[in-house]
Amino acid sequence: MELNISPIIHFFTNEGVPIETIVLLLMLPIIATFIAFLRQVVGIKAFGIYTPLIITFAFLATNGLRYGVAIFLAVIFIGMLMRFVMKPFRLLYLPRVAIMLTIVSLTILVMLVLGGNQRRTGLASVSIFPILIMITLVEKFVAVQIEKGNKTALILAFETLIISICGFYIASWPFLIKALITHPWLILFTIPLNIIIGKWTGLRVSEYFRFRNIIKQL
Amino acid sequence: MFEFFKNSRKLLGMNSRNLEFIRPFNRAKAKRLADNKMHSKRVLKKNGVSVSKLLATIKTLDDLENFDWQTLPNSFALKPNRGFGGEGIIVVYGKKKNRDDAWVKADRSLITIDDLKNHIRNILDGSFSLSNTPDFAFFEERLQLLKLFKPYSYKGIPDIRVIVFNKIPVMAMLRLPTKESGGKANLHQGAIGVGIDLATGVTTTAIQNNRLIEKIPGTQLSTSGLRIPYWKDILLLATRAQEISGLGYLGADIAIDKENGPTILELNARPGLAIQIANLAGLTERLKRVSGLKIKTVEKGVRVSMDLFGGEIEEEVEEISGRKVIGTVEKIQLLSKENEKEIEMEVKIDTGATSTSIDIELAKELGFVDVLEFFEKIDLPTNFTREQAQDILKKLKAQYQHPDLADIDIIYSSHGVSIRPKVNISFTMNGILINSNCNIVKREDLKFRMIVGKRDLRKFLIDVSK
Repeated sequence: MELNISPIIHFFTNEGVPIETIVLLLMLPIIATFIAFLRQVVGIKAFGIYTPLIITFAFLATNGLRYGVAIFLAVIFIGMLMRFVMKPFRLLYLPRVAIMLTIVSLTILVMLVLGGNQRRTGLASVSIFPILIMITLVEKFVAVQIEKGNKTALILAFETLIISICGFYIASWPFLIKALITHPWLILFTIPLNIIIGKWTGLRVSEYFRFRNIIKQL
Repeated sequence: MFEFFKNSRKLLGMNSRNLEFIRPFNRAKAKRLADNKMHSKRVLKKNGVSVSKLLATIKTLDDLENFDWQTLPNSFALKPNRGFGGEGIIVVYGKKKNRDDAWVKADRSLITIDDLKNHIRNILDGSFSLSNTPDFAFFEERLQLLKLFKPYSYKGIPDIRVIVFNKIPVMAMLRLPTKESGGKANLHQGAIGVGIDLATGVTTTAIQNNRLIEKIPGTQLSTSGLRIPYWKDILLLATRAQEISGLGYLGADIAIDKENGPTILELNARPGLAIQIANLAGLTERLKRVSGLKIKTVEKGVRVSMDLFGGEIEEEVEEISGRKVIGTVEKIQLLSKENEKEIEMEVKIDTGATSTSIDIELAKELGFVDVLEFFEKIDLPTNFTREQAQDILKKLKAQYQHPDLADIDIIYSSHGVSIRPKVNISFTMNGILINSNCNIVKREDLKFRMIVGKRDLRKFLIDVSK
């Protein structure tokens, strides 16, 4: 590589840490800061910070974005569907989530088999970890569904998807990857940046939108 | 565009609320109190604040199995202790006839003991609590809807959210349950939020689903102009609740019970921001004005609030002049002769008339049939001059007497001159009782069956724009 790799990265790789792992770990604070910014300044809620972050990495680990998105949508769709199916049974929370997880696992298995059958080997060979990550989404989704209703759960799921897709593109941006390899210290800038975001008291972009009618009349 | 951003600084956003108000002023201990409904109920009650009565608590599955369902009254509310946003609450309105194990809900559907048990198991499991931690369930007395609110709310009971900061109520909103919200008073479920003028307790603007509305959907009822009863008590109660709870920035939810009056429903450590839309006013602006003020007593705090955040100038004029401000058309309550019945109607305020006049038929309705028949029989002179009038009047007064006939008078009006009988009639206008010496005349073809003249208007100021 004609890249001017930072000595510390050299040291890490020489110790046997794969370069991909190093890049992912360095990317994590940047994605996290991005999500914090979207939440505090723009006002996109999603399912907290953990879920969009980990889904971003699940997308990075699946072979291409579209399979990741397909699995994501499948999980949400089943979450929606199962709410109606399970309603008459009136089950307690954990057993209900357990049944949902079962159905989601089976569906994903069927998807993978179908993918293999259609010679979409990319789908069939998706590794198990990103799939497991996606499945944990079910619990988040169901919890919000119970507390705040279907509509809110869907909106939050959609926001999570959008953030994760953006995160995916940020994390696979060649320029940024190169920058992190040559200047890994850059990630320390996320700390002061987060301090600024953490002290931000202005209206969020979403609030300008929410209050747009009354701002004119104040 | 510049104006837009300048105005937006008056509004309180999520970031500012959390960082500048909740974080510094709502300590962890106070927040725990607010999030625990049973605990806050207990603390408030101990301090002599009116709360809805706790009927029973269920803390474990054992409690649930051993619970004697027959101890429950016909109507009650079942709530999760750490619930939020009105989730997980079941209200029943009565026992199903001929059944021991079923109650009727707001939408008339039945709910059986088995259903309730299942719901309680979900509550105990934490399905409705903040962050899904295991929870308690409790039963409390159902509050009785005030008659005044009946046409305005669908099934449930309306409540009043008061934001109190630094012992001063800064903003308030009436929340009306709708069909869409399923009888619940939560705005995000589709309830109506109505802004309230803090000085008078009169409703102003209203929103539903973040959009301004003027009438209650499906009715002709205007959302503005409703005077909330016990207004000052409500503000005092909210401020008192802040003092007791230690929440510097509090959203107190208060309902008015038919029997007990204003009652605290729940304390909120993280009150929402939609109240600003309902009031068409920004919280930041108001919070800035009251921060730093040293308020010693609850009464003082409420007084400051009413002075600062009451939009109505009229109230101030009344304070200064000691007189009530009325419009050119006012609603009055007429009392009949024997005070046995009351007639409510709109009357015209006429500063061009000296005395009040009332329609013959209306006077008869009020019990003056006898005196009117007596007066009809009198042969009244016509075609006299102003000079002769006083003499004629003197003669008539001496000649004809009747216990109900207070006076006889000659009225010069745009219709000419007429001799009219006068009787004493009492009515209340804007809360003030007036004993009027009314003349009686045919007014049935006119728009108003009664006009109130100068003599009865001494205690009022008239605002022609009203």
